[in-house]
Amino acid sequence: MSFVQIRHISSQINRKTVSIVGSGPSGFYTAYHLLKKSPIPLNVTIWEKLPVPFGLSRYGVAPDHPEVKNCEETFTTCAEEFSSPTNQKHKFSFVGGITIGKEILLKELLDNQDAVILSYGCTGDRKLNIPGELGTKGVFSSREFVNWYNGHPDFAKDKRFTDFDWSKVSKVGIIGNGNVALDITRVLISNQIDEIWENTDISSLALNLLRRAPVKDVKLIARRDFVHSKFTNKELRELWELEKYGIRGRIDPKFFQKEMFDPSKYDRAFNRRVEMCSEYLKPFNERSKKNYKKAPPPSSGYDKFWELDYLKTPLKINRDDFGAINSLSLCNNRLNEDNSLQPLKDVNNIMTYKVDLLITSLGYAGVPMPEFSKLSIGFDKDHIANKQGRVLTSSGEIFPHLYASGWIRKGSQGVIASTMQDAFEVGDRVIQDLVVSGALSLENSIDLSNIKHTTWKDWERINKKELLRGKKEHKTRSKFLTFEELWNGVEGI
Amino acid sequence: IAAHLLRTSPSLLTRTTTTTRFLPFSTSSFLNHGHLKKPKPGEELKITFILKDGSQKTYEVCEGETILDIAQGHNLDMEGACGGSCACSTCHVIVDPDYYDALPEPEDDENDMLDLAYGLTETSRLGCQIKMSKDIDGIRVALPQMTRNVNNNDFS
Repeated sequence: MSFVQIRHISSQINRKTVSIVGSGPSGFYTAYHLLKKSPIPLNVTIWEKLPVPFGLSRYGVAPDHPEVKNCEETFTTCAEEFSSPTNQKHKFSFVGGITIGKEILLKELLDNQDAVILSYGCTGDRKLNIPGELGTKGVFSSREFVNWYNGHPDFAKDKRFTDFDWSKVSKVGIIGNGNVALDITRVLISNQIDEIWENTDISSLALNLLRRAPVKDVKLIARRDFVHSKFTNKELRELWELEKYGIRGRIDPKFFQKEMFDPSKYDRAFNRRVEMCSEYLKPFNERSKKNYKKAPPPSSGYDKFWELDYLKTPLKINRDDFGAINSLSLCNNRLNEDNSLQPLKDVNNIMTYKVDLLITSLGYAGVPMPEFSKLSIGFDKDHIANKQGRVLTSSGEIFPHLYASGWIRKGSQGVIASTMQDAFEVGDRVIQDLVVSGALSLENSIDLSNIKHTTWKDWERINKKELLRGKKEHKTRSKFLTFEELWNGVEGI
Repeated sequence: IAAHLLRTSPSLLTRTTTTTRFLPFSTSSFLNHGHLKKPKPGEELKITFILKDGSQKTYEVCEGETILDIAQGHNLDMEGACGGSCACSTCHVIVDPDYYDALPEPEDDENDMLDLAYGLTETSRLGCQIKMSKDIDGIRVALPQMTRNVNNNDFS
């Protein structure tokens, strides 16, 4: 199908039109909620810049967490149900391979649609802004690294990864303390344990390179202290549980001892984290509860280590003669009583870590769309200015018919469950507004016949092929790794 | 770039207001997730849900069904984002304290997810991890409000 009629009135149903920009969990959960809850008939279109759907579920979630990707089943059921031209109340279309702001302008959507919802997530990187961060071999942002091993077509065959000498990577530094930092630690420290990775949908190209790295030591470096770590207990527990493979976690006693934390001052999740760490730091046989003694370390003992390292500020990335990273200079920090952070840059407090690979995992940054300033759409630091999901103009007024949901609404924080909740709340407001608003006086449709794009049917073909390739390689899925392969995947069957 | 692609369809120009008509639509299978078995006579177990608006629904179900399956099979507002694999907190329920102790204790993975649940209470559990059994026949569970904490008064 090459023509998407945005305003659909063929079957006597006057549907209000909604366009959603982005097909990750926030975009799809917003669509799902609208289609499930709206009392008035809707025609919902999801626009996606890649030829394939699901955003961070496909390209962000770690390959060894397939259960987290199960939300894709909900999205698929939803898309299948409302894509078919039956006597459905609502209609749904997926349009892939089109960037709003490029092939189609945001202004055109705003002129055409009864509501537009921006759910395009956080597409930039927060930076350290220190010497050596750019242009040094072996220094990557977490977004680049995660996209690479997840087979994102922008990075899967990037020479910065494929030409890098992985056989020299023994010591790794990861800057940051969120779940992404822990995912990356897990990938790197268990890189040679095939039973974890070989059957997943990890990019085979990336896995083969990662396997070459004799990783022995991964340091997770944070500016603040143990209390301020952002990761969740599930991800931390997964790291501790790697001890059955001879992989041991460490925290220096100056940063962590159970007695430092009065349980009455902290919430349940934090107190559980304290117990987990204090138990796992004990030798296996000295632990008090059986759930910390599920699988003993191998008789050969531990030969790989990950470490939570706190109160450091990275100052400079140092290179060898070939332009590759060889060390990281840092200083100690002081955390003042008012929670402000003070880097101590005097000579006594400066140290150097030898590292062969450095990943900066400082969080994803929201980026405004190119038309925002022209259309006077407000943007606050790293997310779209909004009031409960209704987008604000740069002067703080409500921008009519425009909404935001997910990470681009609030910043890059929270798991899929919280994104889902956010999408539902924004969806409710869109419905509230649509029920009382009049329809557009001018009705337009956007002709896509001259713009290359994919439909839901196209994605079904690509999906089928990837699953088939996966079956042959004994993987859950073998993703197409380039745009060319993805577009070719549309053909046939 | 694509301005020339905008096409105004003249036949559509006449319609200026939206009429909100409720047509006889086909029943959507999309809204029916679960497939629940019908309990054999004499073996029915009862469960009561307290919904977000305070109303109550009681169902007769089979042994072994999870609370998530039961809720989805009856189109209640409960998501199972991870498909019931204990990897998210979207099927969070608050169990009537009278029944809470009759449940097997939560495992670490369930507790790790409950850490992230909205409106967590002392008797919170994940719906996907509770299977119906004779021990909990008659159990009452509340679906949490997202905007406020649910407390034990919701059961009185």
